[in-house]
Amino acid sequence: MITRRGIVVCIVVSLASLAPGVSTLADTDTSGPTVIADPRYGEVLFYFYQEDHFPAIVRLLAAQAQGGLEQHAAQAELLKGGLYLSYGHHLEAAEIFERLLAGNVNPEIRDRTWFFLAKIWRQRGYLDKAQRALDSIEGELPEHIGREATMLRAQLLIDGGRYDAAIALLEDWQGETEWSRYAQFNLGVALVRSGRTDEAKKIHEKLGGIDPWNEELTSLRDKANLALGYALLQSGQPREAKLPLQRVRLEGPFSNKALLGVGWADAELDRYRRALVPWMELRERDLLDPAVQESMLAIPYALAQLDSISQAADHYLNAVEAFYEESNRIDRTISDIESGRFFDDFVADDRLDSAGWYWRMEAVPEGPQARYLFHLLATHEFQEGLKNYRDLKYLWSNLERWQQSVEVYSNMLETRRLAFDARLPKAQEALARADIDGMVQRKLEFDALLDDIEQRGDWLALADEHEFEMWGEITSLEKIPALSAGIPVAEEVRDKIKLLKGVLQWELEREFKERVWRVRRELRETGEALVETQRARRQVDDSMAIQPREFRAFDDRVVGLEPRIEALKMRVEDTMAAQRVFLQAIAVGELRAQQRRLDTYTVQARFALAAIYDQAATVAEAAVE
Amino acid sequence: MTRKLLMNLAAGLSLAIAATAVAGESAPPDAAQSASLAADAEDAASRDRFRALDQDVQSLKKEVLDLNRDLFLLEEELLFPANSQVAFFISMDVGEYFKLDSVRLTIDGKEVANYLYTDREAGSLLQGGVHRVHMANLKAGDHELVAIFTGQGPHSREYRRGATMNFSKGIGAKYVELEISDRVRKQQPEFVIKEWE
Repeated sequence: MITRRGIVVCIVVSLASLAPGVSTLADTDTSGPTVIADPRYGEVLFYFYQEDHFPAIVRLLAAQAQGGLEQHAAQAELLKGGLYLSYGHHLEAAEIFERLLAGNVNPEIRDRTWFFLAKIWRQRGYLDKAQRALDSIEGELPEHIGREATMLRAQLLIDGGRYDAAIALLEDWQGETEWSRYAQFNLGVALVRSGRTDEAKKIHEKLGGIDPWNEELTSLRDKANLALGYALLQSGQPREAKLPLQRVRLEGPFSNKALLGVGWADAELDRYRRALVPWMELRERDLLDPAVQESMLAIPYALAQLDSISQAADHYLNAVEAFYEESNRIDRTISDIESGRFFDDFVADDRLDSAGWYWRMEAVPEGPQARYLFHLLATHEFQEGLKNYRDLKYLWSNLERWQQSVEVYSNMLETRRLAFDARLPKAQEALARADIDGMVQRKLEFDALLDDIEQRGDWLALADEHEFEMWGEITSLEKIPALSAGIPVAEEVRDKIKLLKGVLQWELEREFKERVWRVRRELRETGEALVETQRARRQVDDSMAIQPREFRAFDDRVVGLEPRIEALKMRVEDTMAAQRVFLQAIAVGELRAQQRRLDTYTVQARFALAAIYDQAATVAEAAVE
Repeated sequence: MTRKLLMNLAAGLSLAIAATAVAGESAPPDAAQSASLAADAEDAASRDRFRALDQDVQSLKKEVLDLNRDLFLLEEELLFPANSQVAFFISMDVGEYFKLDSVRLTIDGKEVANYLYTDREAGSLLQGGVHRVHMANLKAGDHELVAIFTGQGPHSREYRRGATMNFSKGIGAKYVELEISDRVRKQQPEFVIKEWE
């Protein structure tokens, strides 16, 4: 049995699958075909290639526990590490890799593995482990991975608040590649965080003017332009702010904020009519977006500046009403989230045993509430939390299935035991009737008798029944008194009898040796059959003795498993609840922040409305006077 | 109503973007919204909570996997005791001349398995996976296995072939592998049955 890929590829593919952009790693296979010496190993690969990581791991663990896969020992360990990693069991995977990587492993593979571990650990918030993994890389990584590794280092420095070190690392970045753009952006991030905003502006200016060749870079350019535009707005340069803000795509994740900013740039220049154009466009968009919410206040503000007081008042009233409704919807969503069912719906339609580590919730489930959390899906923390929740749900259903199976096994064992107990007396009785020792004794007696016959040359003893009867008849004829008469007829008969006797004896003597051989052969076969019977008997005896012990052993295993499953199920439930609380806290926190923003906007709207009414009242009073 | 206040709200939302690192293709654009300088301490606390939970999940995964291993072995030993166990595997080597759709197995004249392969499963076989298509309890002694393979042969034509094998079951567990391979010289698939003790 030949596989077309070596184990190096298996593990590398599994690692590469964690990072979609680096699947070319698989091209580096130089290990040649691997001969599969154990179908159980091939079976593990069958599930592995289908990305059914859980069943693959279970089969691998079972085969190893049975003492199998000896011919694939090293490969199996590497594969296990890769499977654990793919399944998101990263701590166990790391333990295997750390053990294997300490040995005589190709340095390139070792460094790549450290890199992927670092990447996963940062994603999961294990920043210290991620740093240690990166520090363990000894050699030069291939260029495309090397760039990502440097970026990872910079991100870890930023995560750890070491902005100056991050800036130093990123400033050295050379080239005009996609990665260099990311590096520049992150350099900007580090500069902003360390308070060096003017330098950050320059970086954003440069990035804002790039000619992107893919969606990611276009998005990066939008981000840079947006950041730059608002920075300029804040520093009182509205005219300069418009250009970067207008460079942001009209349809994209940053378009709403850009439109809002363009409006504010015009408003800052007292060009309120022009400001209304982007803001009116925003009003048609999803109210969920803070930029859209803010436009609902910006529009009446501009209208008021243009002396359209009545229209402004209407817009403020609309805004207050819309914010109120939105806030109520958020309240309902919060109650829904706190009810606990919310996250089950999130992962309800998922094939739980298939995707592993690189599973991502790409689309929110149907329903009015889920849309509030859409952008939370983009955060590592929420995604990883959901991943854990999803994995826990799978563990729970797995335990639930086994719980039912164990009950079936328990019944099956009981049925088998009853059947055994019912058959045992009958079997014992039948065995008692079968006198195998007596048969062996008789066989030995036959052996001795045959030896004696052979020794004595007793050819008559081996005559068959017919021959023996003939012999008897002939010898009895000899004894007939009439034949003793001295008459010719009697003499003639005596001669005939003598001839017959002689012929019979001659034939028996002639065949004697062959008959001895034949009888001996039959005796030997009988002996062999008796030996087989004795062996079978011993087996039956052993079985009868062992079976109750086996029943007890199975019983012990089944009995031991039931509480183990139950205890694990309870722990999974507890952890699910804790994970749910964690996700709820993130989600509710996010929603509360949205509500607080709406409250602020509502206060602003009411205040502005009051000012308008006040102004109108003052004008009316003045007219009366 | 102050212009500055509103503008500052908008700027606050947008400048968070400038303070959030990207990580190439793995960084989603909206990640920016969740981060800000002021939230660093809160982020660290949240990260610690996540990590503590994640460690619990990791530990549970290990224990459930170990339990599954024990249950898998128990199930196998219970349903297919070693002295009567025979496992039948399907494998493919190369597979240029045959695209597997299904396999039907008959043991001693009795149909025991009829398995239809999904594209995912067939793909896995092509990559080197081995599928345990059937497990049986058989008495010690001689048995006859007939396997009928259906699928697409050369030039995408429907293809149906049978392979027969007599095998002897001893006392221990036995594995029988049905391998589909390419006979390059004839540009035809070949079906070989192998025994593993």
